[in-house]
Order: sequence, then C-alpha cells, then structure tokens
Amino acid sequence: MKFCLITFRSVTPAQRAESVLHRAGFECNVQRTPRWMEEQGCGYSLRVKFPDVMRCVELLHRNAVSFRKVYLLKEKGTVEELAV
Amino acid sequence: MIYLDNGATSFHKPLGVADAVRRAMFTCANPGRGGYGAAMEAANVVYRCRERAAQLFHCQPEQVVFTSNCTHALNIAIRTLVKPGSRVVISGFEHNAVTRPLHAQGAEIIVAGRKLFDWGDTLREFEMALRRGVDAAVFTHVSNVFGYILPIEQMAKLCKQYGVAFVVDAAQSAGTIPIDFQALGADFIAMPGHKGLLGPQGTGILLCSRQPKPLIYGGTGSNSKDQNMPDFLPDALEAGTLNVPGIAGLSAGLEYLLQADLDSIAQKEKKEAMFCAHKLEKMGFRVFAGEHQGGTISFVTQDDCEETAAMLARKNIALRAGLHCAPLAHESAGTLDTGTVRVSFGHDASRRQSLALINALGNAW
Repeated sequence: MKFCLITFRSVTPAQRAESVLHRAGFECNVQRTPRWMEEQGCGYSLRVKFPDVMRCVELLHRNAVSFRKVYLLKEKGTVEELAV
Repeated sequence: MIYLDNGATSFHKPLGVADAVRRAMFTCANPGRGGYGAAMEAANVVYRCRERAAQLFHCQPEQVVFTSNCTHALNIAIRTLVKPGSRVVISGFEHNAVTRPLHAQGAEIIVAGRKLFDWGDTLREFEMALRRGVDAAVFTHVSNVFGYILPIEQMAKLCKQYGVAFVVDAAQSAGTIPIDFQALGADFIAMPGHKGLLGPQGTGILLCSRQPKPLIYGGTGSNSKDQNMPDFLPDALEAGTLNVPGIAGLSAGLEYLLQADLDSIAQKEKKEAMFCAHKLEKMGFRVFAGEHQGGTISFVTQDDCEETAAMLARKNIALRAGLHCAPLAHESAGTLDTGTVRVSFGHDASRRQSLALINALGNAW
C-alpha cells in the first residue's frame, strides 16, 4: 500500500483536517513533517492512503482547511510531490 | 460553604474538571512541538478543547485562541483595534479589564448608556455615539456588578450598520447565556475559562474573526525560520507553551456545558437572583435588579459593604463586596462611594443558597 503526506503549517490545521477526514470515514493520522519538506522550519502532516488522497484533498478544500503540499511516499524511500 | 461569588470564579466545578487536569499532568508533554505520544496527546487535548469551544460558540476551531484569562484576551483585542487617539465607545458598565487597556492605549473613551436595566437608553446612547463617529466599540455582555444583560445583538447590528469593529466582553455570560459568534459578527469575543465555562483559573479564550496583533512574541512550533510571528490563527496569538492541564480542565467544563441546557442554567441563576432581590428589598436594603437581569445582583447596606461581606464570611457565606474592579459601573449606578455587596449565582444555583443568605442577613440585624 502506498501512502501520501499532506503537509500543514502547524498542528492545529493538521488536526482539523484529521477531524474532517475521520468524520468522512478516511483513515489518517497526524505526524511531524520531515524537515526537508517544510521550507518554513517545522510543521505537521497527515498520512493518508494513496488511493484516498484526491478525495481527501477535495474534502479539505470543501471545508476550507488549508494545507501546504501533498507528497507521494514511494517505494525505497523516494518521494514525489503531487500537483493537486 | 455557601458560594455566591461566581462572578469572580466558579468554585463548584464538575468532577471531570479536576480529573482532566490531573490526567493531563501525567500524560501530556508540550503540544504542537514534538511528534511522540505524549506531545501528540497534549496536542489532542488542546484541539479537543478548541473543537468544544467552537461548537458552543459557533465558529471554527482555529478561531479559538487560548489565553491566560479574559483580561489577557481583551488586551489582545483592544490592542489590535485601538491606536493612540482612537475614539472608542464603551457601555457605562465596563470592567477595568476594558477601561485600563483603552486608557493605556491613549484612546478617547466615549461612555454611552449609563442607566441600569434600560435597553432603550443603552441603545439610544450607543447609536448616538456611533453616529458621531468612532473607530471601535467595546462592550460587556453582562455587568459583573449588577448582572445587567446588555442588548448585545442589537448593539452588534448597530456596529455593522455603522461599519464599526467591535469587541464583546463575555466574562460574565460565557457558559451561561448562549452566544453565537458567527451570527453576532463580532471582531473578537473575550471570555474567561474559569467562570461560567467551569474550567480552572489561568484559562481564557479569545474568539477571533479578524487578523489580530500579537501581544507576546515567541516560539509557536510553526514557521520557525521566520522571525515574524505566524500570520495565521491560532498560532499568531499563542507564543510559548500553553497551559495544557488548565486547557484539559476547561475542555471538561465545556463538555459538561455542551450536554447541559444553557437556557435552563441562565433561568435558574436569574430565578434565584430575583428571589434574593425581592427578599432583600423587603428587608430594607437598596437592591439593584431589573428586567434584563442575569444571575448577579448587588445591594447596599447601612454598614460598610466590606463589613457586611466579612460578617457573611464568618457565617460561611462567600460573596464579594467593594467596587468589583468596575468603578465605571458603580459611577453609572451612583454607588462609587459606597460600593455594593454582590451576590452572584452559578450553574449550581439553588434555593438553599438563597435562603442561607437571607437567613444570615436576617439574623444579623
């Protein structure tokens, strides 16, 4: 199973996103954003299943939850930023 | 003890409040900083409290900013809206938590509406001030001295009509009278966490609908490379480590209120306040009570108000006398020289409390 990281500028929007997605039945959890992904220094992310990611992003847009970027975590530790 | 000083702080909290504080002490690290279990537990405790406050006051969780008390929240709101020389209209019943920050900012303060329990006077004077031109309005929802419930919905409409930013001081109403932040359209609403919201002392909330100016600067766990404070809520106003045990307790208080019926709490408090007012008047005291009355009343005795409070304290009845940090309200009511004895009921208001007070006063004279 592939996973994605949706990154947020701080813990509160990540938690709000988690709350929105949980209510809609998506599996996700808040974690620290890898340092290199967060240009501003520190941040939190939501880890979601790759097949769910576009529906999750759409849901976040609908609920006005702002996020920074979406990354696909690929095999062998490589990462790809997704255009959403 | 018969506790009738809920205007200062609620004393008989739901049992879950102390339990939540204790649990947080053992399970929570610093929220919004780390990613390990205890840090995330702290973040979850804090976020749950934001969600509960957002549910109670009809806003988004990010709009809920934690402060150390209502005064702290009011200072942020006032320093955001008011510059030196700004013209600011306030009601005649404001607490020093409003008037002192305005004074410190060098605002030109216009006091509008000084007749107790008179919505007509309050609205007429308030609109007159708006028409003459002001930069901001700050008004209390309920007088902390007299329990006068101001017509804040109408005052909010007037502010919108005249395009004036406004702050509501909900120190005495949050958790007792339903408040809809979204419908009211306030720029800020400030409230304590430890009064009607039944949380521990050292907690407060500022509801924000506009970009605020930070009062303190420091680490937020976000945008760390930028030397400016984050420009987004709640981080913009939450520099430094939050009072997690306090917020955990506040969250438990909010949970209790979300399951309760606020209207019935307000009615119960008012019923006992009016009962006491009626009895005290019959006993010959000068009582301040009226149509738009909350769960607080004030009265004047022939003795010094502090002596009356001390006599009641000896009979194990806790209430507050003096000026209640609101000299403006006393000036409006004509009690600045004497002060008053204040009786303020809480969510546990009961006839037993009222009768204990009446009996104690009856036996004293």
